[in-house]
Amino acid sequence: MDIVVCVKTNPDLQMVRVKNREAVVEAVPYKLGDLDKNALETAIQLRDAAGGTITAVSVAEGNRKIRETIKEALAMGADSAAVVDDPALAGADPAAVAAVLAAAVKKLPGCDLVLFGEGSTDNYSGQVGPRVAELLGVPQVGFARKVEAVDGAVRCERSMDEMIETLEVALPAAVTVVSEINEPRIPSLMHIMKAKSKPVEEWTLADLGVDAGAVAARREIVSNLAEEQDRKHVLFEGSAAEQADAFVNALIKEGVLGR
Amino acid sequence: MDFRYTTEQEMYRQAIREWLTKNLEPRARAIEEAEDGIPDDITAGMAELGMFGVTIPEEYGGMPLPDDERLIYAMITVHEIARADLSMSTPVYTLLTIGWSYIVNLYGTDELKQELLPAVAAGKAFAGINTTEPGGGSDLAAIKTIAPWNEEKQAYVMNGEKAYVSGPKECEKWGPPSGHCTLVKTDPEQSYKGFTFIWVPAHLPGISYTTYNDMGRMGLSTGGWIYKDVELPKKYVLGEEGKGFYVNMDGFNAARVLVAAACLGGAEKALEISGEYTAQRKTFGKPLGKWEGISFEMVDDWMRLDMLKLNLLRGAWMIGQEHTSPGTFGRKEINKVISTCKCLSPTLGHDIARHGMMYHGAFGYTKETPLEMFLRGVVSYEVGAEGGLMIMRGIIARDEWGETHNPFKD
Repeated sequence: MDIVVCVKTNPDLQMVRVKNREAVVEAVPYKLGDLDKNALETAIQLRDAAGGTITAVSVAEGNRKIRETIKEALAMGADSAAVVDDPALAGADPAAVAAVLAAAVKKLPGCDLVLFGEGSTDNYSGQVGPRVAELLGVPQVGFARKVEAVDGAVRCERSMDEMIETLEVALPAAVTVVSEINEPRIPSLMHIMKAKSKPVEEWTLADLGVDAGAVAARREIVSNLAEEQDRKHVLFEGSAAEQADAFVNALIKEGVLGR
Repeated sequence: MDFRYTTEQEMYRQAIREWLTKNLEPRARAIEEAEDGIPDDITAGMAELGMFGVTIPEEYGGMPLPDDERLIYAMITVHEIARADLSMSTPVYTLLTIGWSYIVNLYGTDELKQELLPAVAAGKAFAGINTTEPGGGSDLAAIKTIAPWNEEKQAYVMNGEKAYVSGPKECEKWGPPSGHCTLVKTDPEQSYKGFTFIWVPAHLPGISYTTYNDMGRMGLSTGGWIYKDVELPKKYVLGEEGKGFYVNMDGFNAARVLVAAACLGGAEKALEISGEYTAQRKTFGKPLGKWEGISFEMVDDWMRLDMLKLNLLRGAWMIGQEHTSPGTFGRKEINKVISTCKCLSPTLGHDIARHGMMYHGAFGYTKETPLEMFLRGVVSYEVGAEGGLMIMRGIIARDEWGETHNPFKD
């Protein structure tokens, strides 16, 4: 099975500070998205069980140090990578990213399965996977917590509110995965060094036959601010047992417990 | 000129930090209290990620790294381990093993490398250093352990005693080929020229050990060795017979990079702990960090830390350059940079631990924070180990101003 994993580079969220409700991303290192690593781990397990290849594909949205971070995907176990970098992508929105990814997947020699994280670690719009599936004209399963290869298809499991749904979808297909699907491997130094010699294709929009006008942002970000949370400063009095009871009752009242 | 890690170095740093934060950090206190060594699953996981193979070439089971970057990878490894285990047990275990393997790889015979290095890279052998004797450690010229060549036995026959050596229990636990790079006199009549640096497997007949009860760093044993007619074949000689003192000193420079990395990694983490605490702990209506008596001291520590990290990177890089292109810097230039790091880093670690305990107040005196554990651990490198602080000053005096300032020669 030849698998394409679409990955995005995100600022390391643990290093992002919030100042006046705005994220300060200067000097913050970039890394592969957490959920993208779940998708990559899924691909590695499928390939190791059923054979085939993995290509990691990424689109540069602004200055995201994509060439460095794509090596992380190669170190984890992707066989090759393709990155799309073009000045026209500076303000790309999810629709534009999906259009470019779909064009990139089409340019690759073969693809049975396209995998995504359920959303990106930073903006988490969750749109790109379904949009790419639509553009490629392939069936899509969202939020899979298990993916297995079966003859000419993949069997996916996903958690619904009250039940677990199992779907089988013929290939080619697109699947987005949730974080509980697996624990992504941490690349060893041996694999980091071997990643240096794995092939990385670099494409511009022209290489993909995508017109720069087609990726102009149709979305306008009006504001992007951290949520303000006022602390309630509730103090409970009485014995330890009374305080614990009052605390639990307060959590139930807030809807945190007992839903 | 570039002050950044390469993409691969940075990826490796991030990868091991993720693993160590998840797997080692939560267990540091338990390792300290159990006094039972580093757990096998920790050393196995570290080996799997390549941490024990950074100084070892691929042909001996190590990592496919450029030779001039090996010590930088080793420095990153030890720095990150020290952040995760503030007791200093795991960082010191690792720095000894990968630091002295670096020297075995540079100076050892192919037979010795085949015997030792694959087991080290797999995380299944301990390698250490063994110079100090009951009569002293800083005054190496006065050591008394002898190992003259015996033609009949076709071996160096070793007799004597070594003291304050890390790793006797670890050698016993792993079994062969664990052991120590050891400084002996193969020609007892000579002074410096009588020294040979030689690998001593810990399991040869005639070797026994005792252990000490240390103040800290309780997950790594310390002890003394007694050698009685121990036979060492020629394959164990590191470098040349009679040149042991210089091979040993070269090894110390590499080891001192890693010692400083352990102190600075722990110091960095301890300062972060203080940063978090002084941000949230309030006195008289404002966070502790707003009191300049506290924040300016933290700044002073941060400045010292930042400068030493940079200087250490320079030192690790210089050694790598010298070993791949001999003559690039020369021994004296390297000695001064490395001795600076080894002289200042343990004291900085101690200061940052002590300052952090002060900010934490009575809480800092409890075992609820790892600061006291770091303080007890880092002191081991203040009192000595890989060269005492005054010896470092003596080296710099000698190599900066020459014989008029050389305290080692009258």
